[in-house]
Amino acid sequence: MNSKKITGRSLQALDRITGNGSRQLARLTSRRSFLTRLGTMITGAAVLPLLPVSRAFSAEPVEELGDPQSCDYWRYCALGGTLCSCCGGTHNSCPPGAEPSPITWVGTCRNPVDDRDYLISYNDCCGKSLCNRCWCGNSERERPVYFPSKSNSVLWCFGTESRAYHCTVAVVLGEASKQD
Amino acid sequence: MRFLMMSLLCLSLMSGVVEAQLEAEQIGVSDFPVPVDSWFVIKSLEGSYIFDGDSGEMQGMISHNWVTPAIASGPARKEAYLVESWYSRGVRGTREDVLTIIDMNDLSVKAEIDIPDKASALSFRNHIGLLGDQRHVTVFNMTPAQSVSVVDVIDREFAGEISTPGCAIIMPTGETAFMMICGDGTLQYIGIGEDGKETVRERSKSFFSVDSDPVFDKPMKTGEGWLLISHSGRAFEVSVDKGRMKISEPWSLLSDEDKEENWRPGGPQPFTVHRNSNLLYVLMHQGGVDTHHDNGTEVWIYSLANRKRVGKFEFEEEVSHILSSQEDHPKLYVFNKEHKLLIYDGRLFRLLRTIEEPGPGPGLLQTLAHHD
Repeated sequence: MNSKKITGRSLQALDRITGNGSRQLARLTSRRSFLTRLGTMITGAAVLPLLPVSRAFSAEPVEELGDPQSCDYWRYCALGGTLCSCCGGTHNSCPPGAEPSPITWVGTCRNPVDDRDYLISYNDCCGKSLCNRCWCGNSERERPVYFPSKSNSVLWCFGTESRAYHCTVAVVLGEASKQD
Repeated sequence: MRFLMMSLLCLSLMSGVVEAQLEAEQIGVSDFPVPVDSWFVIKSLEGSYIFDGDSGEMQGMISHNWVTPAIASGPARKEAYLVESWYSRGVRGTREDVLTIIDMNDLSVKAEIDIPDKASALSFRNHIGLLGDQRHVTVFNMTPAQSVSVVDVIDREFAGEISTPGCAIIMPTGETAFMMICGDGTLQYIGIGEDGKETVRERSKSFFSVDSDPVFDKPMKTGEGWLLISHSGRAFEVSVDKGRMKISEPWSLLSDEDKEENWRPGGPQPFTVHRNSNLLYVLMHQGGVDTHHDNGTEVWIYSLANRKRVGKFEFEEEVSHILSSQEDHPKLYVFNKEHKLLIYDGRLFRLLRTIEEPGPGPGLLQTLAHHD
């Protein structure tokens, strides 16, 4: 089975889960597509500030505190895996030759510098042997495997050439809204 | 120098004479004994190590790769079933998923059945389940779309795939059915026909909140059905009667005093049930919300018959995994933070034995009973 098939199927599956596929189809086939587009723009403009990643558009970098090679580093509050920062990568970049998984789960961690909550994407880096260093098993707001969007008990190498797990990074997506 | 050379020559000739008097040994293969109830398995990323809890001796190994979630034992047919995902170049190349059938007479590979390349990874006992008919093995898939592959292990063929969006964890029930836990706080019941195709699907009412108090993804087989425990220590007994799911009212493992002291269940393998005596063992620790992966410092024992705690025991070191044998008088197998496997009398909590080198360490502890 080739990797393109795996990637395509995974993305379709994710699309199904989020419901984006059906919504997009409905938009494209509507006889009143102009009104629909206009409505989408208006609704989108209204909803945008409420989205949990509303501050992700800010160009300001996150102020940092802590050692990214330590499991106590604030971004790792719900990370289950080995730290890429110990394996030739950094807290937000995969080690050389590894492939980042485009499909991931998102946790919420509090930055001790500004005492704000941030959405953290835990991306697995894949396609190489396990980097068996700096194991970390945090579980803040983490949920069981039957609720995968908040579970670190899933091997998240989906949509990659290989499912082989190498290590995990923690990427800040934006500041979490207060509802999260 | 000449003397030295002569001496070496003599010694060399003499050793040849000695060798000629010994009968050369023949290499052999040890027989695999008939498994008994005191045996247990330490399933690691590098294979499953089979030990006898009575002697502490290793009996053999079932090979598999790191992806394999668990072993599903089929003692009635003297077989074991496991899922493997292989890449043609180790960590890269072409993927091939198979259901492997192990002959439990000699631990050889009896057969391989090709299945969709979707099997989920990581150690979860209930990512695979042998149904009561002893014919169909169900395998949990995640791509990340969730589904179940049904495999006929008698005809040795893949029977079909059942889509199970939003649900995971396979709990076999009856002859040809299984339940799953779903992210909306419900259970899903799926029945299959003789051909392995879905015939019935039911959804329970919502009985827990995944946000405020989810049930662990580690159900335990009881005599009647399955037992689910929530992060805060609420227990639910679930079963199926005439095709209808029954979910008990929750009862708490914790008294008000326990809650005030922040006791919680937790750990990689925190629960086990001894079915004959209806005893539940739970790893407990003191910690805050979301410490469900934390190791236990104590094991608390409950009678499932009257839903009461009947004992507790404090360990010297933190414990990550526990498993009860299913012998009449249970043993408790315990894996601790010091990477040692301790074997206790399951009623008196006397330490019977320590296995100092239990292998690379458990993803899971299992017995060779059907649902363990």
